[in-house]
Amino acid sequence: MLKLLLPVIFPSWRFFSGIGPSPRIEFAFMQSENDSPEFWQEFRPRPLRVSWAEGVRRLLWNPRWNENLYINSCAERLFEEHSPMREQEIMRRILRALQSGEVSCAAEAKYLQFRISAVLREDGQVTQPLVFVSRPAAIGGIC
Amino acid sequence: MLLEQAVRVAEVILAFACVQQSLENIRGLQPEKALGFIQLVLAILLFAGVYPVYVEAGLLLVACLLLHRFQGPYNGGSDCMTLLVLLCLLLSHLAPSRAWQEIALGYLAFQLTFSYFQSGYIKIINRDWRTGQALTDVFAITAYPVSQSVRRWAQSPRLMLAMSWAVIGFELLFPLALLSQQSLLLALTIAVVFHLGNACLFGLNRFFWIWPAAYPVIIWFQQRLFVH
Repeated sequence: MLKLLLPVIFPSWRFFSGIGPSPRIEFAFMQSENDSPEFWQEFRPRPLRVSWAEGVRRLLWNPRWNENLYINSCAERLFEEHSPMREQEIMRRILRALQSGEVSCAAEAKYLQFRISAVLREDGQVTQPLVFVSRPAAIGGIC
Repeated sequence: MLLEQAVRVAEVILAFACVQQSLENIRGLQPEKALGFIQLVLAILLFAGVYPVYVEAGLLLVACLLLHRFQGPYNGGSDCMTLLVLLCLLLSHLAPSRAWQEIALGYLAFQLTFSYFQSGYIKIINRDWRTGQALTDVFAITAYPVSQSVRRWAQSPRLMLAMSWAVIGFELLFPLALLSQQSLLLALTIAVVFHLGNACLFGLNRFFWIWPAAYPVIIWFQQRLFVH
């Protein structure tokens, strides 16, 4: 706990010190655990625009976006080292989006998998290599 | 502003920020949903000024449990600032003497000032920030822009360069604002606009509410340093 508390009591305010690889999360449905998914969908793609009214509302109430930021920080940790906890955190949130109807189920889908690619600039070129693929998770009675 | 007034105003703003955070936690998964309910009740009590010592200790405990739950901050710097404001206000109540009270609140004022200065310093020593490339990448590459239309701002290099230097200038010069009350009030107004911009462009709404919770304390601190 002390390891978690010390950086808070003596924080480092290095906001945007360097622009590292930025995660993009996609998910896919599968009929069996050993399938290789072909159709990947971006999880929560950005809208084309956000209206002023929506912007004001988000000042007060922005849980989905803040959850996205948390998912991104989990994904960034997965860039550094594998962490079952971080993988599970992302999966739980995608499954909940499925359960709430935010994401539609594919027909006859029994499993779900997500993958993370990293958008980065290298030598002036923007690339997006794949860096992580999750283990498939059973959808259970969600779909 | 008197120390007691600064503490009370800071508590009211902190309470509002905690209500906002708790409502978002309630929408989340367990156990943060349950912790969010407790946080909401405590934040309302803090707003009303009921037993601030016990309420702040409770809020601090909830914040620590959330920190443990997520194995770090859920919302980066805003969680750090929430904990820091809570801790310093609680310590100011528990302090055995006026001097210790002032040390607790002085530490919060220092961290607030340092949050801007350090952020500006690490930018100005980075060539990519000085050329506008880093901010271009923030808009073009990172997951922060709230929409595709905001992402397109990256296609205006002059705008990126101007915005980079505006942010660097504001952050680096912030400590100088402590020299007078007028300059501090001006700097804090600019800071609010800065956080509002971050909230609108990058969705960092929690920063917009929690940073101002420390403003009454820095206003008191400035008077303590230069008036007394």
